[in-house]
Amino acid sequence: MNPLRDPRDRRLPRIPEPCALVIFGVTGDLARRKLLPAVYDLANRGLLPPGFAVVGFARRPWDDATFTAMARQAAEQHARTPWREEVWARLASSMRFVGGSFDEDEAFDRLAALLAELRNTHGIPGNAAFYLSIPPAAFPVVLKQLARTGLADNQQAGGWRRVVVEKPFGHDLASARELNNLVDEVFTPDDVFRIDHYLGKETVQNLLALRFANTLFEPVWNNRYVDSVQITVAEDLGIGTRAGFYDAAGAARDVLQNHLLQLLTLVAMEEPTSFDPEEIRTEKLKVLRAVKLPPDIAAGTVRGQYQRGWVAGEQVPGYLEEPGVPEGSTTETYVAVQLGIQNRRWAGVPFFLRTGKRMPRRVTEVAVIFKRAPHLPFQPADVQMLGNNQLVIRVQPEEGVVLKFGSKVPGTAMEVRDIAMDFHYGETFTEASPEAYERLVLDVLIGDSTLFPHADEVEQSWRVVDPLLAAWQGTRPEPYRAGEWGPRGADELLARSGRAWRRA
Amino acid sequence: MTALWDTTGSEVVRELTAARRRDGMTSGLALTLIAVVGERPGSRSTPVKEVEDAATVSAAMHPCRLLVVTRPAGGHDHTPDRLDAEIVVGGRLGPCEAVIMRMQGRLALHADSVVIPLIAADVPVVTWWHGVPPEQISADPLGVVAGRRITDVAQAPDPVAALRQRALDYAAGDTDLAWTRITGWRALLAGALDAAGNGAWPPRAITIEAPPEDVSALLLAGWLQARLGTQPVLRQETGASALAAVAVTLADGAQIEITRHGNTAVLRHTGHEERRLPLLTRSLGDLLAEELRRLDPDELYAAALSAATGVAGLEHRPAARVRTWREGPGSRQEVTA
Repeated sequence: MNPLRDPRDRRLPRIPEPCALVIFGVTGDLARRKLLPAVYDLANRGLLPPGFAVVGFARRPWDDATFTAMARQAAEQHARTPWREEVWARLASSMRFVGGSFDEDEAFDRLAALLAELRNTHGIPGNAAFYLSIPPAAFPVVLKQLARTGLADNQQAGGWRRVVVEKPFGHDLASARELNNLVDEVFTPDDVFRIDHYLGKETVQNLLALRFANTLFEPVWNNRYVDSVQITVAEDLGIGTRAGFYDAAGAARDVLQNHLLQLLTLVAMEEPTSFDPEEIRTEKLKVLRAVKLPPDIAAGTVRGQYQRGWVAGEQVPGYLEEPGVPEGSTTETYVAVQLGIQNRRWAGVPFFLRTGKRMPRRVTEVAVIFKRAPHLPFQPADVQMLGNNQLVIRVQPEEGVVLKFGSKVPGTAMEVRDIAMDFHYGETFTEASPEAYERLVLDVLIGDSTLFPHADEVEQSWRVVDPLLAAWQGTRPEPYRAGEWGPRGADELLARSGRAWRRA
Repeated sequence: MTALWDTTGSEVVRELTAARRRDGMTSGLALTLIAVVGERPGSRSTPVKEVEDAATVSAAMHPCRLLVVTRPAGGHDHTPDRLDAEIVVGGRLGPCEAVIMRMQGRLALHADSVVIPLIAADVPVVTWWHGVPPEQISADPLGVVAGRRITDVAQAPDPVAALRQRALDYAAGDTDLAWTRITGWRALLAGALDAAGNGAWPPRAITIEAPPEDVSALLLAGWLQARLGTQPVLRQETGASALAAVAVTLADGAQIEITRHGNTAVLRHTGHEERRLPLLTRSLGDLLAEELRRLDPDELYAAALSAATGVAGLEHRPAARVRTWREGPGSRQEVTA
């Protein structure tokens, strides 16, 4: 134990042990736009250990210098912290490249030799994280190579070996399980980190602080006071160039299965006994197991597909007109579902989840809508403008918390109307708050799995989504105009119980 | 922005309330920061501007109400009492609302009578002296009202004596920017020693190279001594402008040496290749932001200060200070006489 380390010393940053970050598919979009800039930002904030190396792996005939130049361009373009030449110089001196295709044994042997060499040159005692920034179809072959070369073996490496995988975690329960088995076979389950970048966001972590650090909210966080919960993940963008992937997936697989259900678990979970990753996972799993689907899936869910329309002052094509989308596709770009949670806390409280592309604006928020007061001792006309109290956690943009409650209109009459008390992290804070990937990459290197969904959670989420997918077989999504808040059916879904969507 | 000339404390309170209504309130205040600025007559640098710039940077992380108090260098002067104030809500200072006050005459000794009504309700109060630190914080009412006090001994005419004075006057909740400035060094050293084996403790020898009278180097030595139990040797480097190098010889004979070259540090560790690491000089705003991150007593600073100055028992000092009342030599009659 290093005597210079002291848990009371909170000025010293959490720094990982000396380690290497190996990125497969380093020439891809994600690596360029997110990973390499995140590594630079971490270095700039002094959060990387003295012994640290980045190893890129891709099918290019590159040498270290070419790779470093490419990485520099990516980091310069997308880093959020100011550019400092000396920080880059330090990173650049520890960047390596291994060229080769995934089925090339010789390339992986070179990778193994390189990692062994880093032990001497960089003082890295066998610690390495493998980031699979590659299509899921390539997973098996890469994992097999890692197993063959012993790269995934903690014992053999003499340090930790971790693997990072990105969504999609399969496309249904069976494929997710297959993928999990495959990864767990090669790495020990504790060394597998699944990235859901929403969980790296400051406000999402704040949700746990809000709930479990305060006394104010816990007493009303149940079906006695909560009328319903609405979770919205809306994007104003279309599918862009991802037609191939998106048409096979759709909104339910792309967003509902991961982001929406993860947000749901954080809102609904019981208090974990400690903030230990294992304890948090236990509580999240319990919620996922308690999720109840609508009895009639056709009536309790809405699928939509955007049509040509106007978004943010620009005319945009409909989904079927997007390049690469097959004719007559029935893939949904919008989905709204009503879920229930079968436990004492939440019985009878509907959870409305919705996500869509080409919505009027980009917004992610969780709204807890409280019941109206059982009795209002006012003239009915005076409380006409009073709605339900709401607590809204805005994840993006304008990260913050809004509390909506009734307040007297100044004047001689006893009139009550809703006002919103708005807490938001300052504009500058938003800029200064770490990008989700920065936080998550650091957590992987430190080995903190709190913000990563576990295999069980992924499988349990598919148990929720699979029956929906099955019930939607052969149906057509409802059309909605680009730039509108989804199809009419979504409004009707809530109107049936006398509710309405919050205008996000 | 509103400017009030030759005004009163109540007028400032009224105007701040009005400005908050008019220009929009800062949402979610985390703390009140009182910045005490000594006037530097004849100097071309503007300490108030430095404070504003630093607060703008740190307010991005810690939205605050900033109360800047400028007083004559000696604490008070013989001019008539006078208060000038400027109120800024939103705008150039980012997510922070500020009242910048200039106090003259004996009013400077009773700055608290103006400042206390301006403190935001029920959030922590931090006082920061940007200038020569006070001899005795309890004699400055602006220090007594705060739960956290930040000084900067490097700005004192005799920094080493000022550091010792900080130890003598220490109460839990005090920190000094000389300590904040070496966080980068401490992180590097801790990172470098992570690689040391189990048989490495305690180190045989530690040397620190720094310019003479470098208070940050003294605190670093104090920290290393408190943590490792080995007394570091300070080697004076008259040519260096800041802490230049730290070398540690471990019990197992391994050598770890870190030397600074501009914004880069070079780490040499026996049996390893030489490595270059960033070691940035941080702006005042970044230092302030680090200070405001923690509002509880910094026990490690107390231990380092104690070891650096030889003043024992700092950890047992109570956090609260009792104000030492001082009316000042010049009563009104004497001034007018």
